[in-house]
Amino acid sequence: MTPMRPRPRWAVLLLALALLSTSCASWTPPPGRGKNLRYSPREEETPSLVLEAGTSQRQHRRQGAREAVTAVEPARQEALAAHLAFVRALGDVTTSTRLMSGELSRLEASKRGIAGHYPELFVPFVQYGTQQLRWMDAELAAATRLSALASEMEDPDMQRALLRLGGPRLQSAMMGAMLLAVWLDFLTLADVVLAQHPSYSVERLLVQLERLRTMLGPAMTALASGEPGQAEAAAADLPALIGHLTGEFAATRKRVLESGENLQKILLVKDLLESVALGSAMKMVLPRMLGPATSATLGVGLVMGSNGVMMGTRMVVSAEWVEMMRQLVRAGVISLPAVSAAVRIHAGQVMMAEAYDELPRGVREALGDGPEVRAMRVTGRAGAGMADPPRHHVLPQEFREWFEKRGFTGDMSIDQFCVEMELASHQAIHGGGDWRLGRMWPGEWNQMIMKALQRAETRAGHTLTQSEILKLVAEYMRLYKIPMNFVPGR
Amino acid sequence: MSEGGAWQGNWMTRLYERVRERGFDSLTAFAEARPAVSLHALADELGEDDVAGVQVLRGLLTEAERRKQVTRFVRDVLVRLLSQHLPDGWPAVLDDPSRFTVAQVLAMWASFTPASHEKRVDQAGDTLLASPPPPGWRPLGPDDEFLRTLLPDEEV
Repeated sequence: MTPMRPRPRWAVLLLALALLSTSCASWTPPPGRGKNLRYSPREEETPSLVLEAGTSQRQHRRQGAREAVTAVEPARQEALAAHLAFVRALGDVTTSTRLMSGELSRLEASKRGIAGHYPELFVPFVQYGTQQLRWMDAELAAATRLSALASEMEDPDMQRALLRLGGPRLQSAMMGAMLLAVWLDFLTLADVVLAQHPSYSVERLLVQLERLRTMLGPAMTALASGEPGQAEAAAADLPALIGHLTGEFAATRKRVLESGENLQKILLVKDLLESVALGSAMKMVLPRMLGPATSATLGVGLVMGSNGVMMGTRMVVSAEWVEMMRQLVRAGVISLPAVSAAVRIHAGQVMMAEAYDELPRGVREALGDGPEVRAMRVTGRAGAGMADPPRHHVLPQEFREWFEKRGFTGDMSIDQFCVEMELASHQAIHGGGDWRLGRMWPGEWNQMIMKALQRAETRAGHTLTQSEILKLVAEYMRLYKIPMNFVPGR
Repeated sequence: MSEGGAWQGNWMTRLYERVRERGFDSLTAFAEARPAVSLHALADELGEDDVAGVQVLRGLLTEAERRKQVTRFVRDVLVRLLSQHLPDGWPAVLDDPSRFTVAQVLAMWASFTPASHEKRVDQAGDTLLASPPPPGWRPLGPDDEFLRTLLPDEEV
């Protein structure tokens, strides 16, 4: 055989496939950097972050000129920190959903794989993923709108209240993106099998995918529901679910590899498959499941180090990520159980055998599980187990139309801006109840706020914007000492 | 932020207890010792968790009615609103943001004014916008000269 002779056909194919596999691997991060394709636990610098940070700082400077009221400065700085963390987290999740969107489009058009011989069977699975992206994008868009509004607020309490309104949306999108990343790995696996392993039973693959979708469907639906209670429960169960799915993934992969008869071909498929799961959170667990049982790692817990959360010698989430989450938990934007779930997923602590009910104390404390946060959660939106006090509209319902004309529609409707308040306080503010204690002059809350809004509009000479309305409302809420913590009305 | 503690119990009694604890025999005296301080700040000083600015406002009006000094009270409210929202004084130019701030101040002022004075306050607002005070105008109390020409006392 002389060096000049053309390569045999299979070698060319092999080369092409190797290139293909490299290109597949190119969207997975270089090992050791901990940078993840889809849901990334390390923040990425996004243009929106820079932009928003600039706005907030400008805001901050402008406010610096205002009268110095005791204890307002720290509150303002806390609100600013929470806002920056919010924008970062938004950027993280948006980056990952955008990348997943690209991958899903690629798969949907994969003529050799998923969209090959049986597009009607397999493309719907890709479309299922695309549908999930749609609700995540909607949640992220709503959260972005609230974040932009928050940046226009001067009152730090109102700023935080708006971020908290966006919290459940951000959280659902974040957890949803993690789950979708796993689904995407399954789709990529199916794509590789269909393209490179024609002897593997198509029916088997189909049944497998259907089963998996049934498995992750309820959690995805709960996260998409917009019901904080449901989404919260789904988030807490996510580590176990992803653990289960990881097991399924490993088993499927094994089955695929064992079913091959052509050794060279199967080695290639193996290479391709190994690059697949590196995209999602499964990458932390899979090596352990596929390699020889390494009991050493099972006993290794999570430790909070100076660089972030470590598992053994491996860093699983960065210190910056912990700090970002700490700010969000502290401001009541994201719940600690959800963050704990996220850490466990990133750490690969997802198998039932390894599942800890709670994270180690050091990690929990680093995330902000202090007494103040616990207290906040009790009075916050979760309010578990307690009979919730009645909810009242801050923007008067009698004037719903007036507010609708000024942008308070859909997921920003006046029903989103309710406060929980005991009957006695409510009556006092509305001028009912015991008039000697309660009756306010020159009237009740609704009259006061509407009079102010309508006059402000006349004086300003333009239709008030949402942010102008909320600025004015913040003034009155502060004046009445109504806690700035919005809950959706019923 | 409090959890609505300002509206628990008899707030009027609480308000006067706090005023007396601070060595004043009236809310007006307490407030006059703190000229051009925002209503929020007055309330916070009396009870960060359980006294609301609107209660201070109510107390001040009741006392002003008794003393027949409602117009002076109305001027005082504007002073406190201006110092909070326009700390650098009246804007030289009314661009979009400063126009909204002024509109907000005038709207809040009107909403805090008893019906008896509402018309005069609206007219005063018109005057302020039509022939504005010198840039940087920042009244320090209800007896500010410009303010007294804008809203002179009627009661004798």
